[in-house]
Amino acid sequence: MIEPYDWAGGREAMLRFGPGSGPVVVAALPLFEEANRTRAFVVSILRALAEQGIAGVLPELPGTGDSLVPTDRIAISDLRAAFAAAARTAGKRAYSLALRSGALLDGTVVIRRRWHFAPQTGAELFRALQRLHRADDMPGYGGHRLPDAFLEELPECHIEAARTVRLDTDLRPCDHAVPGTALWRQPEPENDLVLAALLADDIAAWVRACEA
Amino acid sequence: MSEVENTVRDVLRDVLGLSEDRVATFDAETPLFGALPELDSLAVAGVLTEMEDRLGILIEDDEVDGEMLESFGALTRFATQKALG
Repeated sequence: MIEPYDWAGGREAMLRFGPGSGPVVVAALPLFEEANRTRAFVVSILRALAEQGIAGVLPELPGTGDSLVPTDRIAISDLRAAFAAAARTAGKRAYSLALRSGALLDGTVVIRRRWHFAPQTGAELFRALQRLHRADDMPGYGGHRLPDAFLEELPECHIEAARTVRLDTDLRPCDHAVPGTALWRQPEPENDLVLAALLADDIAAWVRACEA
Repeated sequence: MSEVENTVRDVLRDVLGLSEDRVATFDAETPLFGALPELDSLAVAGVLTEMEDRLGILIEDDEVDGEMLESFGALTRFATQKALG
């Protein structure tokens, strides 16, 4: 089901799954092209959560996805404000589910607790964008024109403490490691229903533990 | 087989969309840049970024050259030196 939500800068849409009450998981996709490669995957996780009786929403954020705000006006503060507004609209007991650079966006006090999968820091995303910029013959960053203020702010962006899950091929510390492939790196968008089910189980157990 | 070598193998599989069977055949002599059509300059950027992420290393532009990307062995040696110091 598609619903609108309002934030200080306008109106955006969000996909809603599962029951209309109880705890709600608010999803933050990674920024830029990684969003295209992980959207179907995140929808699969939210559907699996809905089957377990847990509500979920996937908001479009200003300057991303189907938003009418162009990427050359994207701002971290707007992304965060819109995510907070979506969470407030979604329900009173909101938990975040953030993938990769989506973990930069869920720092709002509206969120009770945070769950991150393979989080990417602002500095890491900044380096990836710079490298893309130099490797690509096109102007911009992987096809996006990005404002200077965004790029200047990005390396310093903070990630809040969260339950952190990573792929077992990632050697960095985490709370839980799972087998699977890095969908955000695939040359074409793909899905991984086995991994989506594994992660949905982890999120469902975590939400229930937080609610208890 | 070292942990770093496995990570490099996984990165190539994920970024280039290669099959598990195909990357399993990679050895030190397997040529990469110029031999794999999937490995264009944008894919190189993805490979380096993912190696940085998974190995917790930083790769500077001036360290990236044809030699380092010449073969699976050369890339693994580079990654191992970076990861283990």
